[in-house]
Amino acid sequence: MGAHLVRKYATETDTEPDPAKKFEFDPQFGFAERKEREMIATQEQMNLAQLPLEQRDYCAHYLLKLMKCKRDNWPNFLACKHERHDWDYCEHQDYVMRMKEYERERRLQLRKKRTEAQAQAA
Amino acid sequence: MRTSEYVKQQQPVNMAGVGFRRWAQALSKGKGSGISALLSGCRAASGLSKDSLPGPYPKTPEERAAAAKKYNMRVEDYEPYPDNGEGFGDYPKLPERSQQERDPWYQWDHPDLRRNWGEPMHWDFDMYIRNRVDTSPSPVPWSTMCKQLFGFIGFMLFMFYVGEKFPAYQPVAPKQYPFNDLYLEKGGDPEKQAEEVKHYEI
Repeated sequence: MGAHLVRKYATETDTEPDPAKKFEFDPQFGFAERKEREMIATQEQMNLAQLPLEQRDYCAHYLLKLMKCKRDNWPNFLACKHERHDWDYCEHQDYVMRMKEYERERRLQLRKKRTEAQAQAA
Repeated sequence: MRTSEYVKQQQPVNMAGVGFRRWAQALSKGKGSGISALLSGCRAASGLSKDSLPGPYPKTPEERAAAAKKYNMRVEDYEPYPDNGEGFGDYPKLPERSQQERDPWYQWDHPDLRRNWGEPMHWDFDMYIRNRVDTSPSPVPWSTMCKQLFGFIGFMLFMFYVGEKFPAYQPVAPKQYPFNDLYLEKGGDPEKQAEEVKHYEI
């Protein structure tokens, strides 16, 4: 909690990635092959449901299921626990992927620095 | 003989307007007070007499004594405003202190105004009532209050600046969105080809 801030501003200021800037490494670098993320809800479905832009991510199909469940079960606001959990779990996995992407970028930056240092020393 | 206003070209003139003007001029020249003055142009006996009204700046000691007596003050206390054309006349210059500073426990004749009957009134008395301007001393020295307030504000501004320079963020990559980062949803041109953005699992 905050170790990345110490790294960014104090100890490793040149290698710590900045999420505001674009990450510079090729997505395929270091992987044999990478599976593309699959978008299940269509643009038309999201438009019909009038989802705000922030919610039109890769978990939108769970959100659409949840919205349908809530609409069908109103006023029983305790009815859609399973659907809500599914959506929450999908969002959680998305967040974990984001954390992993950040860490990948950080390690690649450190590796780049190491190789440059070796090339300098050589 | 003036039967009309100043006429350049032969313009028609409102005779009622002329009559009103003459009456207003007569009023301003007359020494009237109250409704009786508006109607008849002379003063009623119920108003203040001429010698109890403020007068011109007192030049001789006798005039000063008379003015002090008029305002119910001791001659030693009486001090008129300086005679520099501002138009105060012989009105006394009382200390610039608000009514809030006066003793709240003394039995004033007018408790809300904190004033006794017959007391000379300050020129700006209506400003110095307790609902308005207050000259009472601050509980803490003014300099201390200023230092504390501006010190706090300055510190907060400095910290906000530091927060802009070194923002705190979560160690996560930006969120990924489908359909080329929602190109069409964000208002992109449907005719143009969007730049391909692919996202992968990790």
